[in-house]
Amino acid sequence: MSEYLDDDMIVCRCEEVTVGEIRAAVRDGAKDVVGVKRRTRAGMGLCQGRTCEKMVMAIIASELGKKTDQVGTSSARPPVRPLTFGELADAEVI
Amino acid sequence: MEKFYDIVVIGAGAIGSSVAYHLQEAGFSVALLEKKDVASGSSSHCDAVGLICDKLPGIDTKMGQASIDYFGVLAKKFKYDFEYNPKGCLYICETKPEFDAASEYCAKQNADGYPLRMVRTKELTEMEPYIAKDLYGALYTPSSGSVAVNPYKLCFAFVHEAKELGLDCYTYCNISKINTNAETNAVESIETNYGTFHTKKIVDCAGVWAPEIGKLVGIDIPIEPRKGTNLVSEQTPQLCFHKILEYGYMMSKFDSINFKRAVSPLVEEQNIAFNLEYTMAHNLLVGGNRLFRGMDTRSEIETMKAICERAMRFYPKLRDIKCIRAYSGVRPFVKDHLPIVSDVDSVPGFYIAAGHEGDGICFSPITGKFVKQIICGEPTDFDISKLDYARFEKSKAMAS
Repeated sequence: MSEYLDDDMIVCRCEEVTVGEIRAAVRDGAKDVVGVKRRTRAGMGLCQGRTCEKMVMAIIASELGKKTDQVGTSSARPPVRPLTFGELADAEVI
Repeated sequence: MEKFYDIVVIGAGAIGSSVAYHLQEAGFSVALLEKKDVASGSSSHCDAVGLICDKLPGIDTKMGQASIDYFGVLAKKFKYDFEYNPKGCLYICETKPEFDAASEYCAKQNADGYPLRMVRTKELTEMEPYIAKDLYGALYTPSSGSVAVNPYKLCFAFVHEAKELGLDCYTYCNISKINTNAETNAVESIETNYGTFHTKKIVDCAGVWAPEIGKLVGIDIPIEPRKGTNLVSEQTPQLCFHKILEYGYMMSKFDSINFKRAVSPLVEEQNIAFNLEYTMAHNLLVGGNRLFRGMDTRSEIETMKAICERAMRFYPKLRDIKCIRAYSGVRPFVKDHLPIVSDVDSVPGFYIAAGHEGDGICFSPITGKFVKQIICGEPTDFDISKLDYARFEKSKAMAS
């Protein structure tokens, strides 16, 4: 269904990245979520792609004629949710 | 499936992208082969600066300054914006002994004509209003010797500009074999999933993966992966106004500088050297450390905790700022802390531009230019014989 989306629709709200920018990143050579992320910042914001990643995957898959499970995910990196530097330093178990 | 190029460059990180750009610009037909995507290795798992003040006096600093000057030229020349941002750098000295050691370093660099200077607590806190007030001073480098760039955008910029000039870039390219001449051992072709690339010249710019390529032509490239970790903050108002590092960073980078800090066992064990950068996207990058962990780039919780502890010592306000991500990457480490930018006597047509450890981004412009000069048979801008691959052969011979 993502082929019906307008280019100016915002997909990544944290970084204000549009459908058109994601499509342009794929045309530039991005073949997966991480490649799109580096070219557009989609998924680099406060939510780290929690909200938009599935939509980003759908757009990449649609552009490349692949299935959504063939376009990767962002790398799994801590922390699982935002923590202050103080909480991180002080916590005994994370 | 048969392809013909004057030169094949392997690796599309900062070094390979720059080398490919410079060779394409010189008029060669060039193919850039990359195992994954452009900027998918160390060049997107690093921080964002080019400095002279983290270099040893001599050729190390000279290359840094030449590259920093060159970044300014490229920023004007390129259409693709790599977020070139000249800004000064402060090397924080927590104590008087650190300040004294930094003063000695400063004097050496001044003697070579670099305008570094020492600042004391009062001036430091004026320059950096959110920094801890009990620090002894700092080594200041003006923006002429300190720039920020976006490292992965730098790679995209080189590739984009080179493509405009005719570069062919092959991503997700697996190299299975390099064929050399049976008599002369000269480079002849590369076999890949894109078919066979016929070429007389190969430049190995694969960073920590450069030894894998070296093996394909039977040579040993002494590069080891050295891990580093950075934390990314949420977007914040501007917390720092310079590139910030602690003087202990030098200690961590060059084990020859033997200087003991009063830090916790965790910070010591994790080999933490605080550095802080405010990016154009308004996030803070907070680092960092140097550890040998093979190719393991997972973010370790103990490292993260140690970075937080050390960072809050210098910027107490960080306590209430949120960390949204940690990332780790591996630097291509060479024992003598100098990159390898060189031809290889035993394999005619095979060149190496790799092993820049934590300086790959900073050194990428000048390295591209040097490789172009070496391949064209031109004199290099200055003597880089210290970067010759033959130095390892010599030290092997001496050892045996």
